[in-house]
Amino acid sequence: MKRCKPLLGTFVEISIHSTGISQELAIDKAFATIENVQDLMGFHHPQSELSKINAQSHRCELAIYPWTAYVLRAAREIYEQSHGLFNCGIGHRLVAARLLPNNLDLKQHQFGGIEDLQFIDSNTVFSSKPLCLDLGGIAKGFAVDVAVASLQSDGIDSGCVNAGGDLRVFGSKAQAIQIRNPATPTELIQIGTLQHGAIATSSLYFSKRQNPSTSYIVNPLSQTYVDFSGSYSVIANECIYADALTKVIAVSDKTDHPCLSHFSAQAIRIEA
Amino acid sequence: MNWKPNPYVIAGLVLTSAPIIAHAKIYVSIEQAQKIIFPNKVLSKHPILITGDLQEKMRSASSIRHPFQGERIWRATDGSWFIVDEVVGKHEMITYAVGLSSAGSVQSIEILEYVESYGYEVAEAQWRKQFIGKTASDAIKLNQDIQNIGGATLSCKHITDGVKRVVTLYDLTLKQAQSK
Repeated sequence: MKRCKPLLGTFVEISIHSTGISQELAIDKAFATIENVQDLMGFHHPQSELSKINAQSHRCELAIYPWTAYVLRAAREIYEQSHGLFNCGIGHRLVAARLLPNNLDLKQHQFGGIEDLQFIDSNTVFSSKPLCLDLGGIAKGFAVDVAVASLQSDGIDSGCVNAGGDLRVFGSKAQAIQIRNPATPTELIQIGTLQHGAIATSSLYFSKRQNPSTSYIVNPLSQTYVDFSGSYSVIANECIYADALTKVIAVSDKTDHPCLSHFSAQAIRIEA
Repeated sequence: MNWKPNPYVIAGLVLTSAPIIAHAKIYVSIEQAQKIIFPNKVLSKHPILITGDLQEKMRSASSIRHPFQGERIWRATDGSWFIVDEVVGKHEMITYAVGLSSAGSVQSIEILEYVESYGYEVAEAQWRKQFIGKTASDAIKLNQDIQNIGGATLSCKHITDGVKRVVTLYDLTLKQAQSK
């Protein structure tokens, strides 16, 4: 059984290799968990918890949902391990480039980064500076992980959750993985087989169709837009890390970046 | 995690291996989507004649040029609506179903088919014929060779536009049918 819904700004596909009668319900629940992540962490939703953190965390302590706290802690860890190459505090750059909607007055603030967000306790945050966090580079991978966990807790043995190209497979059988050829994205390249793992890819071939002049990947250190023609994929145990680490690899152009080993991940570059 | 890379890719020989073309995925049939969106509801077909004026209003609300087909509309006894539509982009064609409550709010969206191709052949009837008569079990065979496709994120903006025109259709026409 394979289903697909438009979520997280992309097409989310859930396929399961199970024959039980409850599989329909298990997929419904997995899609619902992804919707929860979207509602919590969407930059586009003025009512999301992320928008609340951006608007208020420098004014008062905020109690947040454990999932949001988990993603923020992972973002912080990757920020530290990559020496700042992954920084979800660059939302204002994407707003300025009109890649994200403008919910904030950009001129008013000197924005901090994820490093300015402090945890008062496990689910309470406070920021020393105004923030413009965008979890677009990490929340999609997290959503894939929670959907997989939901399917597994409903007794689904094996399957795949694919959020528009960032995917995670589970089950006892290794599954073949194809990725799009960055030179001609309708062609697929058989890149290997994966069992119990995730793969995410960063490339600009689709974003350039819509906006040929601006890249959506920003180097947080130099604050410049990163342009490249190939694609970078990262394979990791969990999709949250695969998703976020592709940005580190794309910005650094190093498929052997030292932070990969910290997260037990591997990277592949495909030339266009 | 157990990752076995394709040795050709590692050796940088990507372009020498035969490419697989990503072209079509069929997820669920209209009947399956009806059961997914409105389980246990009885739906009856409720086609609407789309006048030129209505077509134009839907177009300006959604910026979708591809004409809406009014024969794929169903109504439940409680006043909910089930509508099948497709969006045709430069690079892809997507058939999707929308469930609307009797008050016109979007209950659920389900993708039925995702077809990717270059150029204009997607819009041609000849090209579409290959899917006629396919059932859900055929769909599984069609998908067999293309299971897990990774790559850069594809935007679902076209679907967002498509849903806008379905909601416009409700506001301009289906709402009035509620009282009948």
